This record gives sequence, structure tokens and C-alpha cells, in this order.
Amino acid sequence: MTTTRRNLFKLAGGAAAGSLLTPAPWRLITDTALLSENWPGVPRPKRGEVSYRFGNCALCTAGCAVRARCVAGQPVALAGVEAHPLSRGALCTYGIAGHHLPYHPARLRQGPVAEASAAVQSAIRTLRPNEHCAVLDLRPGRTASWTYRRAMASVRNGMYLASESNTAVDLASAKTVLSLGVPVLDGWGTPGNVWALRGGFHLIQAEPVESRTAVMADLWLPIRAGSEAALLDAVRGGSASDAAAQTGLSEQQIASLARELRENGPSLVLDRNGASPMIARREAPVPEEWKKAVPATQLASVSEESIRVLLIDESMPGEYLPWSAIQPKLTSDCVVVSFAWSKEGYGRQARFTLPAAVYPEVVDDIPPAIDSPAAMFRLAAALVAPPEGMVSPTGFIAGLAGIDAKNALQERVAAIQKSGRGSVFDPSGAAKPADLWKALQAGATWIDDREPRASVISTQIASPLADDKNRSSAPLAIAFSEPRAAALVSPLMSKVTNESGLRLGTHGVAIHPSDARGAGLAEGSRARLETASGFVTVDISVDDTVPPGVIQVGGGPDLQNVCGANRRGRVVAL
Amino acid sequence: MKLPKSITAIVPFVAGVLLALAAGWTAFPRAIYRAQRQPVNFSHRVHADKAGQKCDDCHSFRADGTFAGVPTLDKCSGCHAVPMGNTAEEKAFIDRYVTPGREPQWLVYARQPENVYFSHITHVKLAGMKCETCHGNEGATDGLRAYQEDRVSGYSRDVFRSMKMDDCVDCHRRQGMDHSCLDCHK
Amino acid sequence: MTSSKKTIKAARYGMTIDIDRCNGCGACMVACAVENNIPPVPQGGDRKGLTWIRVYKVDNGAQGADRRSAFVPMLCQQCGNEAPCAHVCPQNAVEIDPATGIVGQMPERCLGCRYCMAACPYHARYYNWWDPAWPAGMERTLNPDVAPRMRGVVEKCNFCHARWHAAREQAAADGKPDTEPVNYVPACAEACPTHAIRFVDLNQTSVEGFRMLEKLGTEPKIFYQSKRDWVRQIAEAPRPTANGSKQGKEASRG
Repeated sequence: MTTTRRNLFKLAGGAAAGSLLTPAPWRLITDTALLSENWPGVPRPKRGEVSYRFGNCALCTAGCAVRARCVAGQPVALAGVEAHPLSRGALCTYGIAGHHLPYHPARLRQGPVAEASAAVQSAIRTLRPNEHCAVLDLRPGRTASWTYRRAMASVRNGMYLASESNTAVDLASAKTVLSLGVPVLDGWGTPGNVWALRGGFHLIQAEPVESRTAVMADLWLPIRAGSEAALLDAVRGGSASDAAAQTGLSEQQIASLARELRENGPSLVLDRNGASPMIARREAPVPEEWKKAVPATQLASVSEESIRVLLIDESMPGEYLPWSAIQPKLTSDCVVVSFAWSKEGYGRQARFTLPAAVYPEVVDDIPPAIDSPAAMFRLAAALVAPPEGMVSPTGFIAGLAGIDAKNALQERVAAIQKSGRGSVFDPSGAAKPADLWKALQAGATWIDDREPRASVISTQIASPLADDKNRSSAPLAIAFSEPRAAALVSPLMSKVTNESGLRLGTHGVAIHPSDARGAGLAEGSRARLETASGFVTVDISVDDTVPPGVIQVGGGPDLQNVCGANRRGRVVAL
Repeated sequence: MKLPKSITAIVPFVAGVLLALAAGWTAFPRAIYRAQRQPVNFSHRVHADKAGQKCDDCHSFRADGTFAGVPTLDKCSGCHAVPMGNTAEEKAFIDRYVTPGREPQWLVYARQPENVYFSHITHVKLAGMKCETCHGNEGATDGLRAYQEDRVSGYSRDVFRSMKMDDCVDCHRRQGMDHSCLDCHK
Repeated sequence: MTSSKKTIKAARYGMTIDIDRCNGCGACMVACAVENNIPPVPQGGDRKGLTWIRVYKVDNGAQGADRRSAFVPMLCQQCGNEAPCAHVCPQNAVEIDPATGIVGQMPERCLGCRYCMAACPYHARYYNWWDPAWPAGMERTLNPDVAPRMRGVVEKCNFCHARWHAAREQAAADGKPDTEPVNYVPACAEACPTHAIRFVDLNQTSVEGFRMLEKLGTEPKIFYQSKRDWVRQIAEAPRPTANGSKQGKEASRG
């Protein structure tokens, strides 16, 4: 037999036929299929023992009770706690994904700590007589807030800036609620509590756009943007015809509203800046030694160009004060340090942005919500370890004053326990936990006794537009669509923003088609939203349910920064 | 003797067939699998005989019904914080894993693709199956055999032998069980 | 203990969704994504997202002050009779589980032809245009009870079947008889802050309500409830859209 090409082919043919009788080709086919499953790099979830831990959500002051399902110690899912007397098992859209926050791509992982520290200390040493070192606390009412107040008492010309946090609204006794654009049924207060009390009050929602709350309210009054003050005026006895002209409602509607608030009381008026009536709420007890602390100062009462050092705690913020309100109070050489978890807040303006740990990495107490007439003390549990390099705002600021605040929470809890006040809700079911500190760390909530005669404060609700000194002629009036606490939480928020258009994202705005045409914009365009406070890049949604002349904006620090004080703006195509 | 032409003609073909058969049945299995050693040459027999342990002392069910699988280090450290015997293997285990608190990366012979869901408690507790039925008589082995990993797909030879989907379905059919896709897939 | 032929007493899981209680918050959408390892899909927007449950905004078609809206969560309707998707799949990747009534989608068997997406009258099926990608570190938060899907396959709601399995294992550990249906709750129903979504076993509870596109005869197991007539009429409309509310853009998957 010679080696001819034909023989070679016969050999090959035989080999091919024979191989079909071996496992080789069949296995290779199976393996290719299996390989194609593995090669794309789809992550394989880690397995482990399942355990449950209780805590409270720190994303907003509702502080809803949370039960975290953990696999090998890592939280993979969150749910509410049904038995909790206030949150009733509800967790909002953001709270459900709270455990993603530590992994958010916008998260800062490093910052110039040494430089910031040096700059701050040098500035404090060289403070001129009328200059202050100020702490701006974006979430007042915590134990950390007391630490800042104590620190500023020891620092030269120390000042503590925060908005009012010791007032509350008594929703349970209200029979009629007039909400001026406040998202009562969509993230305001403690959602579980609001829904539990829903049957007890008649809700009238007055706002230009039909928000989620307006859809669910008993009555939606589609007033013109910016006419809230006029409506309020009429309701309190002012001229109904003036109000009708400004709001676009009829005089009968306004008269009927005024009558209802009068006759179907107690009534409650809510505005994005306050409420009426509010009741004073005492804080959870603090150790006596702490009371030598500076009181809270309102930013508005600070003289211009008098803050030389500004330390901003925006590690877990509530409401952002617009930078345009802060800037005039700063000296030209002000050292601004921001303790933040992302650059999206004051990181854009601060000289130094230092990375802070986030929920659920750090144990911190959550101040009570606006709809809780009694004080509450609860902790956000530390479910995962923070990354290296995080800076503790309380550590930094207390360090400036030479105060050791590491055990501040325990000291506070000891004072609470000593006072003998209040009751404890323990999600694990223990009736009266002996060790309050341990119980709180395991997710319990201490609820104060209600004061029998809490004083009622009648706040002057001022619609920002009325105070808008920079009343510009910008064509669009701004309406907020999201609760202010809406923040970056998880990339999964794309489900409700990009992937479905259900909510406006942190840079999302919606305008009427005619306004879009006028500005040369279309659905999905990028544009610049300009107000007298600044500008921010936004994504446009074109929506004919937004009235012409109004721009509906989402939530988030950037939008609040730019729109918070200025309620008129324009959109410009990029 | 000169062979007839017809026979000569098919010799290359037959040679090819025989070559392929040989390669396919001997060389291919050797080539497709890579033998991996387990981190520790654990002896089931020693633990079963001397320590008097049964399968579920280490391979146990948790309170919620899930199966703990291969035990984690804390199970071993419970006894082996100090050497229990006098083998070099045990000493190496304590030095490399127990002392520094490092989890041994065991290679699980029965590892299935991610989308497979198998409920041990259903088979062991409700159906009363014995571990040996699917896993073989591991309890009597002196050491851990090498993990023969398919180079292309990464799965173990044991899975291809007796733990493919067909094997599960066959047993279910023999037992007369109703079953549906979602019973075993997630 | 021999395993004789055991027939689990079948459950027929379904839902009631009270549209009058839905405030469109979207907590169900996020909870579903957390439970089922659904990745965020920031690019591609509306038509390429993965929203196994999706809340649509619908309205009564009036303009101005007479306009009224409502929010309707839409998910796989778990058709009880001749599920269109099961019918058309060339791969037999869709199967109705006799023990639970759940229409199960097998992504591992799917070849991505998307015939089922065209067949589904409720637009409740979603295609993975891309491989799933989570930001670095976030894959630690994945749920080990649900397998992530690769690109090229269709996926949809399966009533959090992994939770059913977990409930069965718990029942077995507790020594309960394995022939009884178990109580469990999918992520969306658990998350809904207003309790608009309720999960029921239709074999044990009788429910009231209307269903979407009843005229098609798919016998879906999701019952919607509302006191408003115009909302009920939406259910008979050709598709759940937000009429004219997004200029030129349909809210449905199309």
C-alpha cells in the first residue's frame, strides 16, 4: 500500500467515522455549550449560610425598620418589619436597595485628609475677630449633631449651622390636610405611618403637575406654579379673587377649600419648607455634660463673609441647602471641607472632599421623622465593613476641639436609659430588653413618651418664590416631583427611571412639548438647566401632562442645589 | 500472499477507524481532564471510624432546611485546633489553614452549573435516599481522589459520569415522580 | 421510606393588584430586581430594559383638570390557559409547573428567538441585549438562590420561584407533610408599601377583580381591582399604554 493522497483521505475519513463512536466529539459539543455559559463572565453569586439582621434604614429621617437577609454575613436583600409601630413593614423604592450604597460607582474612596486637616487647623489659628469656624450639619438631630455642637463650643468662634429639627407634625389627629406640592403619599414622613393613617384624613393636593400624591389624593387642585403663597393667603381669610387670578382655580374652589379647612379640622397645611401647625418635640435625653454646647444657628442669620472655615457633614444628608445661599456667608479665603460619600453634593464647590462611610457600613443614629410627635432613638446597623481610607466626620471635627467622641452613642443611650422615659420596640420580640445599647444595636427603636402638652408652633410658611430676591424672568417655573431625600442609592434605580420612565432621576426633568420645541429639545436630549443659583446638566423628558411654562425636576443633590432657592429657570440645549 | 484489491482499498479507512477509536477512548479522556489535587488529603475513613462520625455530622442540614455542603473551616477547627493525630498531612492542614484562619478551597466533585437547583433535604429526608446512592461510598475512602476537571467546561468527571440532568430525570421517572423544569432549575 | 408516586397537592398561585392603592412608587420594581439578580440597564432605555414587573401610568384620556391617572403594575400574567409564550417556543423553554401553576421560563434553554416576546399579549417578557454588568463590588449583593442570565436569552417573572423552594425546604426541615402547598410571598408583594399587591393561592382563596385582556381567553391569574370604571376599561384596551402622556413614545414595550 502506497501513501497516496487517496489513502490519506481514506485514513482521515475512517478517523472521522471512528471518532463518532468515541466520546470525543459529543463531549466537545457539550463542553462548548457549557463553555459558552461560563465565558461571558456572568458573576456567580456567592453561597453561604443565610442569616437575618435587624436595623433601621438611614437613607432619610423616616428611619424605617429593616430586616436584612444576609448570605455569609453579606446583606443581599432588605425588607421592612411589619410589627414596627411606625414604619409598619414599609420600605420605599430607595430603602429596598439601600444595601447597594457601599458599592455605588459614584462612591469616593479617597481624599486629601492630611491637607484638609492642615488647612483647617491653620485657618482656625488665624481666625480674625469677626470670623467663624462653622459646621454645617445636613442631618441635624443626631448624636453626631451634639458632638459638633460640643466641638464648636471649644473651638474659637465656633458655630453650628442646621435647620430646625425639633418640630413635628401630628398627622394622626389631622382630619384635613392641604399639601402645597409636598409628596405626602410618596416618601414624606414615614411612609408606613402615613399609609396607616390614610383613612383618617382628607388630602387635598395643590400643585401644578399631577404627581403620584395627586393621583392618590382625595382632591387635586391644579394650581399654577409659584402660586402657593397666594392660595394660602386666601385660605387664611385673604381675597379669594386675587388667589383665583394667581392660582388659576375658580373662586368657588378656593372658598370651598377655605371652608373645609375651617370646618373639617383639625387641619394641617404642608409646604416643602414647613408645616402649620407644628408641635415642639423634645429630643431624646442627652448626658448633662453635653449641654454646654453651642445652639443651632440658622444660615439666614449669619452675616455675610463671616465664615472662614466651613465643615459640611453631608455623609448621609437630608436636605441640601442651595450653595447660592451659603456662598455669600463665606470669606474669600474660606476653607471648605465636605465629608461626603460622592462628589455630587457640595463636592463640586468644596476645596477638600473627604470620603465618609455610608449606610449600612456605619452605626449612626437616625433623627425622628417629621410625622413622629414623640422623639425616637434608633440606630442604623453596621452590616458591612467600610473600605479603607474613610474619614469619620465626627472624629475629624471632635478632634479639632480635642474632644473624644468615640463613645458618644453609648453615652447618649446611657442617658436615655437613665431617664426612665419611653418604651422600646424590639424586632426580635424581647419585651423589655435589659441592655438598651445591645438592643438598639440589634435593630430596636426607643420611642419617647409623648409630652402631654407639647407647645404648638405656628410657623410662617413662606413660599420660596415669594422670597425669591433673584426673581428672574426665566420662562419656566420649577416643580419638584420627588421627595427631597431621593438620592443616588443604587444603579438599580434605573428600573424606575431609564428603563420605565416611571420616575425622574437625579438629573431628570420633564417639560411640556411646546416648551421643548421652543428650546429645540426632544425626548432624551441633554440640556442645561439654568437658574440664578447656577446650572446643571439634565436629561429631558417631554411630557404633555406637565403644564406649559413649568419644568418638573427630579430629586438629588445637584437639582436641589440649583433649584432649591430659585424656583424659576430655563433649559438650554447643549 | 497478496491481498485482494478490495481489502487493500479499505485498509486505510479501517486503520483510520481503529486509530480514532483508540485515541478517542484512551488518549482523549486523558487529555480532556486535568487532575487537580484537593487542598488537603482528607481521610473520610479516619473520621468515620476513629472519630465515630456519620455523614451528617459535617454535611448537615441547617435549621432552614438548606444543606451546608462541604463544611467550612470552623467545623474542622472545632476539633483540630491542636493536632489530633500524628500525620504530616494534619500538621500541614493546621499550619496552612487553621492557624491563619484561611478557608480551604475544596473542589466539589458534584458542582453543577449555576442554574441548577438541587434540594438535598427533599431527597434525603423526604425521599429517604442514602448519600451513597448519588455520591458513592465516600465514607470509606482513605483520601480524597483527584478532582478531574474537564479542561474546556470546568466540570468534574463525576458529573459527566453520573450526575447529568439525564441521570436525575431517569431516576425521577423510575420513581414515578411528577416533575417540571422549575423543580430543578433556578 | 419508599418514595411512591407522590403528587403534591397543587397550588395555583396568583395575585390581586388593587390599582386604587398603587401610588406608582416603583418599590416593587426595585425589589424584584434585587431578588432576581436583574442587572441595571442604563443604556437603551425603555425598550431594552429588564423590568419583570413594570408600573405603567395610565389615564382616562381627558385633558387638563378632568384628567385622572392611575398606576398599573404589569408583570407576567401567569396565563392559566394555553399560555401563548409556551405555545410558540421552539425550544420548549417555557413550561407550566403543575405543582404551582407558575409559567416557568428557562433561560438556559432559550435560544433568543424572541418569538415568545411577540406572542405575549402583555409585553411581559424581556430580552437580555447585553451581558449583565454590576458595578465593581456590587456582585457581592447578588442573591445565590437565583442564577443570573447571560445575554441573548429571554427572561420574565416566575413568582419568585426560588422563594417557593426555600419555603418547601423550611417546611421539610420543620417536619411538615410535603404534599401540602406552602405559604410564601414574592418580592414585589412583600415590598409593596401600600399592600396593593397581594399574593394568593387561588386554590384556597377566591378573589374578585378583572383581568387584562380577558377576551383573549388566556385566563391570567393576576386579578386587578379598582372602583373606577375607566380603569376597568383600560383592561380591555389593546395594550396598556399611557395615552398620550409621553409625547410620541409608547409606554409599552411595542
